[in-house]
Amino acid sequence: MGFVQVFILAAMAVSVGLSAWAIRRDAPLEWRFAPAPFVDLERAAEFTTVLDYTAPTGQAHSPAIDLSGPLPRVIWFEGSEEAKADVDIFASDLTESDGWLSSAPQRVLTRGGLTESFASTELVVTLGNTIEDEGRGGLYATVVSVGGWAMASVAEMHEGAARKLNLSPLLNRSFLVKSPMVAYAGGTWGLPAYFEMGSAYGALVRFGQDGRVRDMRRIPGPQKGIQPMIVPLDATRAVAILRDFDSGAGRLLISRTMDGGQSWTVMEDAGVANPSAPVAALNLGDGRILMVVNDDAGNGGVLRLTLSGDGGESWDVLHTLEEGGEDARYPMMRILEDGRIMLTYSVGAKGGIRAHVFSARWAVGT
Amino acid sequence: MSALAGNLWLAVLLGWAVWGVLSLGLSAPWSIVAGLAVGAVCAFGLRETLALRGIVAVLGPIGVVIPLLALRQMAGVLGVPVQPFGTVELLVFLAAYLVFLAAAMGALPAEIYRLGYAPLWVAGIVLAICAYGLWQGSIFLPALAVSAQLLWVLGWGSSNYFDHILHVGLIPAVLIVLVARVF
Repeated sequence: MGFVQVFILAAMAVSVGLSAWAIRRDAPLEWRFAPAPFVDLERAAEFTTVLDYTAPTGQAHSPAIDLSGPLPRVIWFEGSEEAKADVDIFASDLTESDGWLSSAPQRVLTRGGLTESFASTELVVTLGNTIEDEGRGGLYATVVSVGGWAMASVAEMHEGAARKLNLSPLLNRSFLVKSPMVAYAGGTWGLPAYFEMGSAYGALVRFGQDGRVRDMRRIPGPQKGIQPMIVPLDATRAVAILRDFDSGAGRLLISRTMDGGQSWTVMEDAGVANPSAPVAALNLGDGRILMVVNDDAGNGGVLRLTLSGDGGESWDVLHTLEEGGEDARYPMMRILEDGRIMLTYSVGAKGGIRAHVFSARWAVGT
Repeated sequence: MSALAGNLWLAVLLGWAVWGVLSLGLSAPWSIVAGLAVGAVCAFGLRETLALRGIVAVLGPIGVVIPLLALRQMAGVLGVPVQPFGTVELLVFLAAYLVFLAAAMGALPAEIYRLGYAPLWVAGIVLAICAYGLWQGSIFLPALAVSAQLLWVLGWGSSNYFDHILHVGLIPAVLIVLVARVF
């Protein structure tokens, strides 16, 4: 036996040892969804606009709700124009006493700050959709170092340290986030994400105990389904409602899982008109799904609150939230600690941010 | 340590590139020594410049394969016996890698990339690469597979094993080698 053979056999022995170590410390992922957060179905009907912000110049878009701190916070990206090299992440804290007060918007995440926060510093040119990391209390930001959104990556920002999620073999490019995370039993989380280059698709990203990406499951279909909004219905069933990135389609897409997100049905027409815009949705706790959607395929200025009592098979319009103005898009809904619902979206064709707090009774009318 | 490993890989890559330029007018081993020295100075001394931050952002995650190939090429110039990859071997690799990338882009209904997160799958992939190296009598691929597995297990760099052993920069590199063999 020559040197080469001995070397390779020794390498194989080392590999077996490394594999044993890795397999032993690897905890199997939990694929049962956590129970839906508490929605107060008994609270009297109420609806309050808690933030109505217009960007002084440029654009403010893609708001998200961050509930990690003592106060609810709305965060969004703002700059001269989407994807330009002067876009940072802004936030406004919301306080309720006699009424709701919103703090003056302030920068909470900058391109320069994020650049410095990577362990191995790397250039960040612009920032996009940013959401709360509900598992660890930080943020997930869509970041671009070169090119447009199809060249974006997802960066995790946690306690001042940043790292990119490893989601793609194409130089880790073309993954973005938009929708809130999905809670699993045992306190673990899933992150809805989407691939935007070429044959765009949605995916559910899972994390290991060390917070690093441990798995990813694709939502299949021939359409370009992006920005998945995943709504668990019980421990194993969920629906994913997706924007069709093909702007000519004019319809929302829907996919379902029966095994906690391990596999998804091929996307199909959700039966709702849509101008290629994302939706926000949540489970009211009794199986009904509340969804905020642009349901006019030719008018992004129409934003409605809708309800499904049959797991997303059909939808009834409850309220028209915006109509007659410029585009009102990119909604996000989260459930507050007291069981009320917060909703935010951009208005004025990316010119500002609006947020409301309402009760389930106001939403469904009974 | 992840940052240190990243800087080391960057030093090798820059050193390889500088060596490529220097070798036009300077013979080995001086061109290699000078190239690696310049690479190290840049990677550690000028790391926070816009240019190097940009290179890291654009090319990352760098992984193990490109730096090891660069070291392998330089070692070959210094007289270390290096077994070249066969033409058929390169063609099969190129085809398989393009299928892999197409699947990752959603053009094919297969999720191969996600296997790189799973320890059991990674264990099988590493052993398969080692077995291939044993069959071919080649040290390079087993060394690549196991060193990449070590970094992956330690959590240095990407959480996906494929990012350590593959890089899209391999496509132009393989094409250049194949074209050079034709002409």
